[in-house]
Amino acid sequence: MAEHVLLKCKELGFGYGGLESSTVFALPFDFELRAGEVVALMGENGCGKSTLLKTLAGRIPALAGAVLLQGGLLKEFSIRDLAKRIALVRMSGIVPDRMTAREFVSLGRSPYAGILDGRSVEDELAVDAALELLELQSFADRTVTSLSDGERSRVYLAEAVAQQVQILLLDEPNAFLDIPRSHRLFKLLKKLAAERNMGIVVSTHSVEYAERYCDRIMVIHGGVVRVESAASARASGLLDWTESEG
Amino acid sequence: MSRPTVKISRAVVGFVVLTLLFVFFAFLTLTAGSTEISWSDLGLRNVPYANMANQIFWEIRFPRLVAAVLSGVALAVAGLSLQTLFRNPLAGPFVLGISSGASLGVALSLLAGLSFGHFGVLGSAAVGALAVTAIVMSVSTRFANSTVLLVVGLLVGYFIDAVVSLLIVNSDAESLRVYVSWGMGSFGRLTYDGVGLFAVAVLAGLLLLACSVRFLNAVRLGDDFARGLGVNVRLGRILVLLGTSVLAASATAFCGPVAFVGIAVPHLAFMLFKTSNHRVLLPGAALCGAVLCLAASLFQTLPLNAVLSLVGVPVVLWVIVRGGRLH
Repeated sequence: MAEHVLLKCKELGFGYGGLESSTVFALPFDFELRAGEVVALMGENGCGKSTLLKTLAGRIPALAGAVLLQGGLLKEFSIRDLAKRIALVRMSGIVPDRMTAREFVSLGRSPYAGILDGRSVEDELAVDAALELLELQSFADRTVTSLSDGERSRVYLAEAVAQQVQILLLDEPNAFLDIPRSHRLFKLLKKLAAERNMGIVVSTHSVEYAERYCDRIMVIHGGVVRVESAASARASGLLDWTESEG
Repeated sequence: MSRPTVKISRAVVGFVVLTLLFVFFAFLTLTAGSTEISWSDLGLRNVPYANMANQIFWEIRFPRLVAAVLSGVALAVAGLSLQTLFRNPLAGPFVLGISSGASLGVALSLLAGLSFGHFGVLGSAAVGALAVTAIVMSVSTRFANSTVLLVVGLLVGYFIDAVVSLLIVNSDAESLRVYVSWGMGSFGRLTYDGVGLFAVAVLAGLLLLACSVRFLNAVRLGDDFARGLGVNVRLGRILVLLGTSVLAASATAFCGPVAFVGIAVPHLAFMLFKTSNHRVLLPGAALCGAVLCLAASLFQTLPLNAVLSLVGVPVVLWVIVRGGRLH
C-alpha cells in the first residue's frame, strides 16, 4: 500500500524558549504522519504533548530539526496556507460571549474567505455538513456559552472539520466528554481519517481509546519519543509506563 | 437549511428599520428649525445666497446633519472594533483614553498654538489619539487582563485633564473660550467647508476597519485561535487601532467630545441584529450610531452630551448588570 506522507518530522526537537533558557521535552526524533491514519499521542501530564502539537501545527518554532509539510518546510508556509492544511483543536480557551454554535463553526471557513470575510454557498454547505457530522444541528443557533462542556467540545471539533484540512491535531478532545460520546468521537476520527484521507494526531490519557481506535501510538516518556503500531504497542513495552507506580 | 434564512431576514429587517429611521431623522434635521425652508428655495452651493433660507440650509442644517451622521458612524464603529479587539464589552474610544488623547491634541492646538500644517485641529487630534493608542497597544501586549486596560485608559484621561488644566492656566481668554465651547460637544460647529475633510477622514477610518473584518471575527476568540485560522494578528491589530484612532480623532476634532456613542451603540446593534458577525455588526452599528446622533441633534437647545448620556448610561448599566449575571 502506497502511503502518502502528510507531515514529516526530521530530528525534531521541541520545547519552549531560546537557546539559553529553553525547555526541551525530548531527544530529537523522526516521525511521519500518513494520510488515512490516526495516531494517539500519550504521556504523563507536563511531558510536552501540547507543545509537540503546537510545534507540528507551526504555532511555535521547532528547537531543532525540522517539520516538513507535503515536502516543504512548515515555517515557509504562509499562516493562511497552513490554516487550509492543518487545524489544531483545543477544548479550552476563551469562550466567546454572544457567538452561536453556527457562527463558531463558520469561522472554520475563514482561511478561504476574502477581505470582507464573506461566505459562499459552498462555505455554508461545508458548515452545515460539519454541524451534521457532529450532531450539532439542534444547538446551531444557541450561543456557545450556553452549551455544556461536552457540547462545546463538539462545536470546537466541528469548526476544525469545516476548515477542511488534511491534518487534524487534537489536544485531549475527550477531556470533557462522557464515555459514550468519547467512543463516538474516536470512531468519528477513524472515519474522518479513512474517508477523507486525513492524518490525525490526537492526544489522550486513555489507553483503551488509543489501542482500540488508533493506528499507531506515540509516547513521550523519560525524554524520549517512541512510536509503535497500536496493535503491538503493549507487547513492545510502549505502554509499560502507564502501569508504573512511581 | 431554514436557519440561515431566518438570520438573513433578521439582518434585513434590522437594516430596513434603521434606514427608515435614518431617513426620518435626517429629514427632521434638515427641516426642523425656527425658519421655514421650502425645498424650492434651495439651489446649488455656487448660487449666491438669494435668500436666508438657502444660507441656513447649507451653512447650518446640512453641516449639522453631516456632523451627526459622521460622528455617530465613526464613534459606533470605533467602539465596536475596540470592544472586539480587547474582548471587553466596556471598551470604547472614551474608556480607553483615545478620545482624551484627541482632546489633548485639540487643546494643544487651540490653547498652546501647536499646529500640524493645513490639517490643523484634525491633525492635532489624530496625533493625540494615535499617541494614546500606542500606549494602550503597548499595555495590551503586556497584560492579558483587559481590566488593566480600562484602568490605564482612566489614568490617561486623568493625566490629560491635568495637562489641559495647565494649558488653560496659561492661555488667553479668547483661546479659552474657543476650547471650552469645543469641549461641550456639539454637531453644530461643523462648517460647510469642513464637511469634505471630515468625510474623507471618516471614510479612511472605515476603510481600514472594513479591511479588518476577518481579523475582528476571529480575534475575539484569542490571538492564537485567530492565527490558527490564518489571520495575520499583528497586521489586523495595527489596522484596527489605526482605524479607530482616525475615527475617534476626526469625530472629536470636529464635534468635541461626544459621550457614550462608542460604548453603548455596539450593544444596541447586537440587541437588534443578534449576531457576532462583523460583516453585519459593523454596518449595523454605523447605522445605529448615525440614527442615535441624528435623533440627539434634534434637541438643539439641550447639551448634546446630556442627551446622549440619558440613552448611554442605561445601556452601559444593562451591560454591567448582564455581565454580572453571566459570571
